[in-house]
Amino acid sequence: MTAVLHVVFKVAGSEYALPASDVLQMETFTGATPVPGARPWVAGVMQVRGRIVPVVDVRARFGLPAVERTLDTRVVVALHGERAVALLVDAAREVIKLDEAQIKPPPEIVAHEAQGLVKGVAQVGARIVMLLDFSKVIGEE
Amino acid sequence: MSVKVDLSEFVSGFLAEADDLLALANTSLLAAEIASKHGGQSPRAVREAFRALHTIKGLSGMVGVEPVVALAHRMESLLRLADQGVTRLTPESVDLLLQGVRAIEQRVGALRDGKTVPEAPSALLGRIEAVEAGPRAPQATAASQLDLEPALLAKLAPMDRDQLLQGIAAGKHALRADFTPSPEKAAAGISITSVREQLKAHAEIVKVLPLSIAASADAPGGLSFALFLLADGPPETLASFLPGSGLLVRPLAAAPLPPELEAEVESDAAGVRPGLVRVEVSRLDDTMEKLSALIVTRYRLSRAVAELAQAGADVRALKQIMAENARQLRDLRAAVLHVRMVRLAEVLERVPLLVRGLRRNTGKQVRLVLDTGDAEVDKAVADRLFPAIVHLVRNAVDHAIESPPERRALGKPEEGVLRIVCRQRGGSQLELSITDDGRGVDRHLVAERARREVPETDAALLDLLCLPGLSTRAEATTTSGRGMGMDIVRRVAEDELGGELLLQTQPGVGTTFKLRVPLSITIVDAFTFECADQRYVVPVSMVEEILEIDPARLTRTPGAASTTSMLQRRGEALPVLQLAGLFGLDQKSPATRALVIRRGGEATGIAVHRMVGQQEVVVRPMQDSLVRVPGVTGATDLGDGKPTLVLDLAALAGVALGKEAA
Repeated sequence: MTAVLHVVFKVAGSEYALPASDVLQMETFTGATPVPGARPWVAGVMQVRGRIVPVVDVRARFGLPAVERTLDTRVVVALHGERAVALLVDAAREVIKLDEAQIKPPPEIVAHEAQGLVKGVAQVGARIVMLLDFSKVIGEE
Repeated sequence: MSVKVDLSEFVSGFLAEADDLLALANTSLLAAEIASKHGGQSPRAVREAFRALHTIKGLSGMVGVEPVVALAHRMESLLRLADQGVTRLTPESVDLLLQGVRAIEQRVGALRDGKTVPEAPSALLGRIEAVEAGPRAPQATAASQLDLEPALLAKLAPMDRDQLLQGIAAGKHALRADFTPSPEKAAAGISITSVREQLKAHAEIVKVLPLSIAASADAPGGLSFALFLLADGPPETLASFLPGSGLLVRPLAAAPLPPELEAEVESDAAGVRPGLVRVEVSRLDDTMEKLSALIVTRYRLSRAVAELAQAGADVRALKQIMAENARQLRDLRAAVLHVRMVRLAEVLERVPLLVRGLRRNTGKQVRLVLDTGDAEVDKAVADRLFPAIVHLVRNAVDHAIESPPERRALGKPEEGVLRIVCRQRGGSQLELSITDDGRGVDRHLVAERARREVPETDAALLDLLCLPGLSTRAEATTTSGRGMGMDIVRRVAEDELGGELLLQTQPGVGTTFKLRVPLSITIVDAFTFECADQRYVVPVSMVEEILEIDPARLTRTPGAASTTSMLQRRGEALPVLQLAGLFGLDQKSPATRALVIRRGGEATGIAVHRMVGQQEVVVRPMQDSLVRVPGVTGATDLGDGKPTLVLDLAALAGVALGKEAA
């Protein structure tokens, strides 16, 4: 079984993960430039290594109420093919190894409720970590 | 927004060279003075002085000391004429030249002391010029050396004549080639353009003059071209390169003089290259702006044609012309963009001088290898890229390449090698790599200075190197006392140019920095304004007028959620849209200005809170589908590292209209 490094971040008290190989960088959130006319869960754009990158407010994407941003607020910039998109999350401070065997498909009711945004669930000790379907989160079908 | 180049490195190299050259100029001029006082000439002394001043001119041009360039140029021209025997140096003219050397010395001294370099003394320049224009040596005047009918001679600018004469002096063949275009030749693909292109490969084209001649069977157009050339071979060889062109090639001078002075001097490579025009960038920008206006007019034209078609008119012929026009505009745009391209070889022209200065300052031995190929980039990219290159070169010599004893101890050649290679990547990117064979970046040391963990990859190491604080911390420990400025390099590559900076390093073996940048960037002159606490940018070319809004005179229009009102402008009602309203933003502060734009022929005002300024901005496209929205063409960095949206106000107004109609 191969273990894959994953970046773990928090949104509304729950933990989510993305493969570390897809993550370009993580940084503290210093604000995004709003783009009028974009979808409501797009917080705006930011500059990452010279590229203009959209920022997806993951709380809003999940349909959760907005909260005050704190010192813990992070942006996780991830790659999907040629696209780079930043995810605005409540906190991100951990990298863990996940065995493929650890990752199970989400229970049907969870998959349905999450509108397909969660593609797997992993047990890490006593914690439950959900694997994000990044392409769905950033609006690809 | 761009980073200022630290010229001090070039300057130290220049100062060292200038001293030697000025000393040489002085001694040779003194020798020439002695000869002239005895009524004779010392060709060797004149030549030495000429070469010294020629080199001073080239070097001072590289560091941008214009007053010295002006002085050296004037003195050089006088000495050239003397060397060619066109004028004779009198004790008076030598005295003027010695005064010139002193004037240069003063300016070099000012530069060394970090003072403002005074302008070139115009009185002295004038007097030297007067000598130049004065009585000529008896053997030949410049113009009479060209074997040419006076009418044609008059059409050649003095500069062209000089160039031909100098070519002759350098042992080249000055030739006149006559080409008469005809339909038959055109059918065979032979035109003045093709002749020009082919001749270019074999000779230097000094001037092309169109001549009107009597129309005949051979010249049905009554038009012919006289091309003035400098070739390495005699007339016969040149004609043989262009079979079927009917090119008539004649010599312009009886026989070339033996190659002497110019041939030697050309190797300095600092002189003016023939066939080149130096153009101010502002003129190119101006051309581009006029072209943009042309493109806007074309849009309006095509809209008018579409309206005609809708009204039932037959527009087939018009459409054909429009298609042709579109193609021509595209070609013209490409041609203008091409004019803005500069060769990397030119961009890096000053790097050898920089390395020379660094060698002197550090006592290290460094060989610079430049491999620029044919790569070209837009002038705007070149201007931004150069400071980054300076930083990387300086770092390589200051920090990476070891001192000769250290290298000897390591079993490396004492002389380090710094290699700069430029290559075009794909159709739109330039890759420039700067490689040294020095000690490699010490990741432990960098981690310690940055107070971070030791990075595992080169990419992570680069992130640490580019931390803004690192340079100041490193500063105290470097022998040269300079920060590394890697944050600036990355900022230029990524934020200003939208490119990439990469690092590869191996302990003891060397380091490569790679800059990948676009060949050209879109730069527009733009207004910056604020609306609902956000800053936006709009191209100046899109704005017809900026009006002050007097809220009392703003007429609201009916409609439930209307963001529209009207304003009096020169006796007409101007519709005004609130930008905050269009964007669905909460505008706490009232709009004080209206940007007037034209949308399909109709003027519309867009109300904003306040104007902030006007500046040139680099527009970066917003490609991601999540943020591709109408009315937003891209984003720019106004210097705060955050994107500011670039708006297309006409499109925005169009969207608003569509919404209301729906």
